[in-house]
Amino acid sequence: MLRSFPKLVPRSAPVILVVLTLAAATGFAAVGHLVSRYTANQQARGRKLYELGLADARTTHYDDAIAAFRAALTCDPTNSQYQLSLARALRDSNDPRRLDEAESYLLALWQRAPQDAAVNLALARVAAHRGSIEDATRYYHNAMYGVWSSDADANRNKARLELIQFLLSKNARAQADSELIALSAALPADPAAHLQAAQLFAQAQDYSGALSQYEEVLRVDPSNSAALSGAGETAYQSDDYNAAQRYLRLAVNANPEDAGSRQRLVTTDLVLRANPFHSHISDAERNRRISAAFSQAEQRLTQCAEKLNVDLKVAANPPASALPALQARWLLAKPDLAQLRSPAETDLPDAIMDVVFQIEQQTAATCGPPQGLDLALLLISRKREAASQ
Amino acid sequence: MSNPGSPGVDSSAPSESTTVPRIAPSRRLFSTLEGVLHEEVFFLILSVFIGIFSGLAVVCFRLAIDWIHLALLGPLPQTHNWRLFAVPSIAGLVVAVLVLHVFPGIRGSGVNQTKSALYIFNGFIPFRTAVGKFICSGIAIGSGQSLGPEDPSLQIGASIASALGRQLEISREKHRLMAPVGAAAGLAAAFNAPISAVLFVIEEVIGRWSAGILGSVVLSAVASVVIVRSFLGSEPLFRIPVTTFKRPSELLAYAVLGIVGGLASVAFAKSVGYLRPRLKALPRWTQYFQPALAGLLIGLIAFLGFPQVMGAGYDSMDQAMHGQYAWKVLAILAVLKILATTVSFVSGTPGGMFAPTLFIGAMLGGAVGDIERLFFPQLTGSTGTYVLVGMGVLFAGFLRVPMTSVFMVLEVSGNYEIIVPVIVANTFSYLISRSLQTIPIFDMLTRQDGLILPSLEEDREETILRVEDAMLAVPATILSAQDYIDANFHRVENSPDSSFLVRLHPSGWNTISRDQLHRLYREGKGELTLSSALPPQSLPSLYPDLPLDSALRYVNDYPLIPVVNRADSRRLEGVISRDSVFKKYGSRPAIEISTPD
Repeated sequence: MLRSFPKLVPRSAPVILVVLTLAAATGFAAVGHLVSRYTANQQARGRKLYELGLADARTTHYDDAIAAFRAALTCDPTNSQYQLSLARALRDSNDPRRLDEAESYLLALWQRAPQDAAVNLALARVAAHRGSIEDATRYYHNAMYGVWSSDADANRNKARLELIQFLLSKNARAQADSELIALSAALPADPAAHLQAAQLFAQAQDYSGALSQYEEVLRVDPSNSAALSGAGETAYQSDDYNAAQRYLRLAVNANPEDAGSRQRLVTTDLVLRANPFHSHISDAERNRRISAAFSQAEQRLTQCAEKLNVDLKVAANPPASALPALQARWLLAKPDLAQLRSPAETDLPDAIMDVVFQIEQQTAATCGPPQGLDLALLLISRKREAASQ
Repeated sequence: MSNPGSPGVDSSAPSESTTVPRIAPSRRLFSTLEGVLHEEVFFLILSVFIGIFSGLAVVCFRLAIDWIHLALLGPLPQTHNWRLFAVPSIAGLVVAVLVLHVFPGIRGSGVNQTKSALYIFNGFIPFRTAVGKFICSGIAIGSGQSLGPEDPSLQIGASIASALGRQLEISREKHRLMAPVGAAAGLAAAFNAPISAVLFVIEEVIGRWSAGILGSVVLSAVASVVIVRSFLGSEPLFRIPVTTFKRPSELLAYAVLGIVGGLASVAFAKSVGYLRPRLKALPRWTQYFQPALAGLLIGLIAFLGFPQVMGAGYDSMDQAMHGQYAWKVLAILAVLKILATTVSFVSGTPGGMFAPTLFIGAMLGGAVGDIERLFFPQLTGSTGTYVLVGMGVLFAGFLRVPMTSVFMVLEVSGNYEIIVPVIVANTFSYLISRSLQTIPIFDMLTRQDGLILPSLEEDREETILRVEDAMLAVPATILSAQDYIDANFHRVENSPDSSFLVRLHPSGWNTISRDQLHRLYREGKGELTLSSALPPQSLPSLYPDLPLDSALRYVNDYPLIPVVNRADSRRLEGVISRDSVFKKYGSRPAIEISTPD
């Protein structure tokens, strides 16, 4: 085709180079114009597909969302937002085979902008899906300290809360607790945020931290039934039955429908009424409580033996093998009850209650969790053990 | 390219008039440039422009394919959609009409056509080929035929370069080299991988390592890649996953992949080699329908649930690399792609084999890797690693370009950690393919077209004769140029030889015949030294390791040629004579030349 062209170019090397340069520049400009128009069209098409994908992702139609995001990316292959959305959809589709691809997209984005908090958060969630505590913690921290496009403080707290929930789900309580301490220092004066933090502290079994967060909530909103109930439960779990009784009463008053708190309150009242080691009770009351506990223990032992068809007078096989021995110990201690009033027998209350506690602990292990006064006695034994340690 | 007759060329020449004429600065610059731009330099600069123009053309080609694909199939191809088989069938008809009536000679991939241009047509490729390839391949690939854009890009680049060379009327020798320079530019732009493109053009198009053209090929490839990246970005073809190679024992797993890949390559090549001449031999009217039928078959495959086989398939390779398919799907896709590409290619639809080869390799690699991990869970290589290695395996086995196959994987992945698995797997694949399929695919296609072209693989296998193979022992009688003629004459009196080597002082060699020496003696020059009777120039010397061909240019001029040691040129290793050289060539078995089917 070119052979038929007239020979326009003089046969001089510099002239040829000038002509070629002009031709290249013209071609560059023309192709540049073509590419920019094509790119603009493609980007418009990509945006439509992206919106489609977002709608699908919102309704958890992840397969459709993934197809739409992929198509959007074919229109605009370098669009970070599309890549991020595709990666999120791949991750959230609950298909383990797709995690690799999601991670690949996210890592490519991360390499371009390692400070991008959204990308780090998405990577953290991928790592969390994989169950990798180390990677997830690293990316969550990157997200917390990274750059957010808006509402940075709230997003950082959300990221930390998510990390804490992940760590708790993996039973990494120590790491979760340290994150919670950092979180509590940065929480805004928002009862909801403190309430959530308190619940996480409680999950991490940091009851003092949880109680202080509940108290923060109650300082702002004294009738917050969730906080009252949570504080009561926290106090109960930390064996502070006086505080538990106080908070649980308030919780039941604030929300009479709260059956959980009501139940806890009954147990707490029983604990407080049945504890013979309470410091502000008379000797007579103490002796009465010991006698009642001793009788209750015998009753519990008998019921448990009946349940397991065990004859307490004969040696039994495991797991009920300890019950006849406990019966023997109970019978041995029974005559001591009469000597409780003697001022010389200062160790007797402890010895008798030790038999009671052993019976309650063993029957709980053998016959299942106790109820009512048995439960109260078990809780008292736990508190007593904790105090002695 | 200098033109001494043009005005202003020699500004320093004395003028006949007494006043010195004023020369414009621009002319002075031009004249300086004329002096600097001798043909070699000009060719190098021209290579950059070839790269630029090829890059621009490939950018447009890729946009055209994308645009056609979107227009005909839409951005979200769904299975069980009638368009999946209607579009490639109708597009096949259109392409067939264009190929048969408007652009004859654009069938096939374009690699062997470019090679033919280099070796048979003095680098001539009609510019019409570039236009036809652009349009027809664009329609074919965009409509879903199972072909790739790389080989057409290669031919478009070669065609542009050839047209430029003709327009500029460069020498025939340089014009012949324009096609491979353009081919490298086109391929580099299509692959976004300059090293692989350069190696492929050297391995497959030029067919031999030639330092003379290497610089131009590299420059054009780099220039085209720069152009493509400036317009389309530097994103790689695939998002490369984390690839790992931890234990040397895992090389066994990659060797198995190489063996499977080698067998698949042979199956692919044999099916193409078997069907192509048979379909070509059918009546001409059937050629209108062959691409359409191929399109229909591919469309049906897509309709029934495997739309991944349509087009080049880079998106599917990307997904395979990230473990999106189970091994059964990967294996089915590999088989279906072999079928789809075979029917697309043998139907005469213009388009390339590179992308389908990569696709088949990727799917096969992923499938083999996943199966191996089922039996040996301790293998650490990810699916992505096997997919990448698999690509190289098919490249080595099917296209038979071992060097390119290794560098292609490295360049595409940017990861040198997998070089050992790639080399091991590719070697197995290459060896199996070479032993089961003697003729490489591109050579087979060329021979089916009635042409026989040189190939690097043949060169590699050919035994080269060297000087040492034809070398005779050091002669018993060696004369000294410092001795008198009569002394030398007496030394040769009883020798059976007719010519003698003469050692010159302080170094160098010459020869003299018995008759010459006898004549000098009879003329009474016996008391002169031999050096006074010899010509001043010494003989050329050869080294034992030189190719025997290098001796050919001297054997007619000198009866004996000394073969000396490279470390000490005074040390004689032996001699070469015309008889010894021709005797050696005569004893060599004749080279077997395959004839076209």
